[in-house]
Amino acid sequence: MGSLYRSEEMAACQLFLQAEAAYASISELGELGLVQFKDMNPDLNSFQRKFVNEVRRCEEMERKLRFLEKEIARDQIPMPDPKEIPNSPEPREMILLETTFEKLEKEMNEVNVNATTLKKNFLDLTELKHILTNAQTFFDEAEFEIDGSTISMSDRAAVLPPPPPTASPSRTLGPTGNIRFVAGVVLRERIPTFERLLWRSCRGNVFLRQKEIDTPLEDPNTGEEVMKSVFVIFFQGEQLKAKVKKICEGFRATLYQCPETANERREMAAGIQTRIEDLNTVLSQSLDHRHRVLVSIADDMKAWHMKVRKIKAVYHVLNMFNVDVTQKYLIGECWCAERHRSRIETALRTGTERSGSSVPSILNRMETTEHPPTYNCTNKFTKVFQSIVDSYGVAGYREVNPAPFTIVTFPFLFSLMFGDSGHGVLMFMAALAMVVMETKLMQTKSDNEIWNIFFGGRYIILLMGGFSIYAGLMYNDIFSKSFNIFGSGWYPHPQRYSEHTIDHHKDLTLDPTNNSDYRGHPYPFGMDPVWQMSLNKITWLNSFKMKISIIFGVSQMFFGVILSLQNSRYFRNSVNIFCEFLPQMLFLSCIFGYLIVLILYKWIAINATMSACAPSLLIDLINMFLLNYPLEPCSSAEFYDGQKSFQSFLLLLALVCVPWLLIAKPIILKRQHSKKQVQLLNNNDEFEGRKSTEINLDGETQTSKQKDGRKDSHTGHEEEEEFSFGEAFVHQCIHTIEYCLGCISHTASYLRLWALSLAHAELSEVLWNMVFRVALKMSGYTGLIAIFILFTPWAVLTIAILLLMEGLSAFLHTLRLHWVEFQSKFYKGDGYLFDPFRFDKIIEVSADD
Amino acid sequence: MNSLNFNIDNGYLEGLVRGFKGGILKQTDYLNLIQCETLEDLKLHLQSTDYGNFLANEASPLQVSVIDDKLKEKLVIEFQHMRNQSVTPLATFLDYITYSYMIDNIVLLITGTLHQRAISELIPKCHPLGSFEQMEALHIASTPAELYNAVLVDTPLASYFIDCISEQDLDELNIEIIRNALYKAYLEDFYKFCQTLGDSTGAYMSDALAFEADRRAFIITINSFGTELPKDDRAKLYPRCGKLFPDGLAALARADDYEQVRAVAEYYSEYRVLFEESSNNPGEKTLEDKFFEYEVMLMKKAFLDQFHFGIFYAYVKLKEQESRNIIWIAECVAQRHRAKIDSYIPIF
Repeated sequence: MGSLYRSEEMAACQLFLQAEAAYASISELGELGLVQFKDMNPDLNSFQRKFVNEVRRCEEMERKLRFLEKEIARDQIPMPDPKEIPNSPEPREMILLETTFEKLEKEMNEVNVNATTLKKNFLDLTELKHILTNAQTFFDEAEFEIDGSTISMSDRAAVLPPPPPTASPSRTLGPTGNIRFVAGVVLRERIPTFERLLWRSCRGNVFLRQKEIDTPLEDPNTGEEVMKSVFVIFFQGEQLKAKVKKICEGFRATLYQCPETANERREMAAGIQTRIEDLNTVLSQSLDHRHRVLVSIADDMKAWHMKVRKIKAVYHVLNMFNVDVTQKYLIGECWCAERHRSRIETALRTGTERSGSSVPSILNRMETTEHPPTYNCTNKFTKVFQSIVDSYGVAGYREVNPAPFTIVTFPFLFSLMFGDSGHGVLMFMAALAMVVMETKLMQTKSDNEIWNIFFGGRYIILLMGGFSIYAGLMYNDIFSKSFNIFGSGWYPHPQRYSEHTIDHHKDLTLDPTNNSDYRGHPYPFGMDPVWQMSLNKITWLNSFKMKISIIFGVSQMFFGVILSLQNSRYFRNSVNIFCEFLPQMLFLSCIFGYLIVLILYKWIAINATMSACAPSLLIDLINMFLLNYPLEPCSSAEFYDGQKSFQSFLLLLALVCVPWLLIAKPIILKRQHSKKQVQLLNNNDEFEGRKSTEINLDGETQTSKQKDGRKDSHTGHEEEEEFSFGEAFVHQCIHTIEYCLGCISHTASYLRLWALSLAHAELSEVLWNMVFRVALKMSGYTGLIAIFILFTPWAVLTIAILLLMEGLSAFLHTLRLHWVEFQSKFYKGDGYLFDPFRFDKIIEVSADD
Repeated sequence: MNSLNFNIDNGYLEGLVRGFKGGILKQTDYLNLIQCETLEDLKLHLQSTDYGNFLANEASPLQVSVIDDKLKEKLVIEFQHMRNQSVTPLATFLDYITYSYMIDNIVLLITGTLHQRAISELIPKCHPLGSFEQMEALHIASTPAELYNAVLVDTPLASYFIDCISEQDLDELNIEIIRNALYKAYLEDFYKFCQTLGDSTGAYMSDALAFEADRRAFIITINSFGTELPKDDRAKLYPRCGKLFPDGLAALARADDYEQVRAVAEYYSEYRVLFEESSNNPGEKTLEDKFFEYEVMLMKKAFLDQFHFGIFYAYVKLKEQESRNIIWIAECVAQRHRAKIDSYIPIF
């Protein structure tokens, strides 16, 4: 079955790299992506390792790149993905990159500083302009109020004591004399507190006028747009002035010199206007320069990022290596697949050549007692199935991998529940579209999680759709309707029923005992469409689907138990074959294997004429356990000779299996152990009962795992491990109970195949009858319009409920059947994944950031 | 507030803060940190912890002050997020936590202005958790009354400040008195607020705040020896919500030297141990460190119970301790003074 059946054979290798060639070799291996390195210095801190300085240099480069990226993003220049992923750079190139980035960062910083100063100037001028334009109104209003003619509040009047004689003449204002003022700009949201604080700390002896600046201004430091307000504060005396200035400083208000007379202000405003215009040209030129610089590097940004990532990854790997005493060699350990060794060696040679070193690197296979990682080579088709298995648990090294079987059984069991050709076709088409446009869709990376899940599972959806079409044809269910392709095997015989009878008697029943209504041959493929219109359709389908579920379910469990035999044989564990596989197999066949035989027998041997006394299989199974076969009702009576004795024999056999399963293995293990003690032999196969005693408390399945001695043989600590009979026995006890009860509950659990199929069929029938059929019943133009209108809700509900919701539910149930009912029979899943050092993965991760 | 309805308003935040708590550095992290040779090493190791890339965008060479700022920034971001997501009473509770930082900031600014420092130089030194709008205008005030009337009257601290208005000028001693008086009023108010919340919040917070109050009482007493602070005034500064109240405080008020303080602590089992184990000899923990250790122990306890606000307070305190630890280690590394590098206070 190829490599999917068991994971790749792994080799633990020792890698000797010459110091000069190390970088090139590792980067070649990174491009190859087939080697998993082991950390040789787990005790060392990240900053105590050999190549920490290089890693730091990479981080510094990344910081600069991030800085540049931020600048580029601020100018909204697109950064295209590189057409091809750049090769990992030489160590020489690292220095080149460093200087480039250094230069760019410096240049960018200079440009930014210049721009900031320019913007600061610009801001100052604009603010001053606003002050000047608004000042006139402030002064007018102020004068108006201060004139005294309009002052109504007495405290306002108290603000203005008679002018002291020493007031400086230059700052006098209008007729009121020595009122001084400061003008400035402050953030708009701070105005209320600003005003309040002014009022309080100056005891009301100031007078503030403010006006909002309508256009947002750019903060030169952050580049954000802020809203500001112009204000003018009028006050009297030096002390207040100091105080006001302090408060302004506290609120980060910028103060400006504002001339007192209107003429001066006008002149100044004109001057400022020209200066603003000058500044604007300079500013736009410097921004242009900045833009040009950024555009020129924008194309390279992503490629640079990848390069730096690669360098950093290589040094991270090198940090895991040991340095030999002579400092000439780096020594590391790695895992790789046995069959990839030649490719790895080639890569190492290329690396050596690239670095111009004469001494070759050496890949040396070594013996290890460690448990190798599990590496299943997958392609884009098998990947999703493997990941379904892996999410339950990664297979142990060389353990039978359920993934290849899952490829078939998963869509098949799904389709049993989702059996509707119409829905299957829709699903198939959707998946087909994804598969056909695969390359294109893959390039446009999406962040949409739901879409990514669907897209990742496109092949499984494709198969599920395909199998559902088949199952739908078998159930003869297409959007809850049936096709009569080959002509039904049943028809009302014209001699027995006249057309009048057929039209006027709703409850006419075709008589299966009488061959006159039967064409003589059954419907050749799938369910006869005549059932679609029969009253007992559900009763019949239930019985049929239940039996089908049992047959497929028990077969899958049989298959699982057989796979456990494969594991035991592969790991040469004869104890498991005779003490676990055999009793398990017997137990399962004696009860449920026999049940399948009975189902087939009933289908073949019992016909309509015997329907009154047809054996009830459920009752029969119960009777088998009770050893009691009452004659009344006749369905529970024996239906073949010697049934009672045969069934009792089967039951006895099954019961014998229980103690066999329970006791045999611990006893044999104990005997083997004591024999070994005597011989003082260091053997592999003994301790298995001891090792995996972790008992999963949720109890369902995971403890029924097959044992093999493989793991112990690789831990290398056999001497230390004590065999404890009690522990082995308890473990086996749990295992036995779990298996025997599991067989029964799992068989019952497979009935979900029927239950979900029933639910799906019923739901789609209800949807048809309640929604779309309403329209079909109408005639004439109303019917036309009704069909037009009602099609939409029917289609939407079909897709939303039947396809998506039901599909999801069927998927989850299939998942459960595989994880719990199937895999619990043989799958241990205690391995760990092979995680090779691959550049493409590292770059992918960085792209996601 | 009872446990049944707690999650409706505060479940998310409690989950969040427990998650944040998981990111607090462990003993093993500290063991790695103290092995650092340079600040770059420190940065590299912090990268592998929950701090992640918080220093990644800083250009080398790294300064301790930069680390300090970034540590604060991270805490503030986390705290502000929680504050923005919270509703009363948790919102009020979180606000109370910030008040202590406001007090520190006010005192810092006043002291700074007293020493003729420019306000722009002082502002960056303020803790961002305790910043408020009028903060930068603090330096206009030259007397406590002015301070109150002009600036603080709009802040939540106004009610705490009323007792201090009587002070005449702002000099060193008076500022210290103001700080302690503010703290006293704050702690008592916070304590009262937590009592109204009741339940586990009340229980855990009364422990935490009682300890805080007692610690302040001890420290005030010890620090007042050799100053011109009269005993009566000193007694007024003791927060009255701790375990020392009332007998212990009365005894502390009479204390004249360290030995007498120690004698007071003798009566309280939890404090006796702290005093016994502390000493000023090099290589042994100081009383301050012992207090910190005790605080950490107390704060960790808050996480053992669910459905109460104590964990928010505890988280901020633990994070603060962690920042102190990291800064301590960073300083030791930066100044190549490794002898006392391991006198940090491990949390978990």
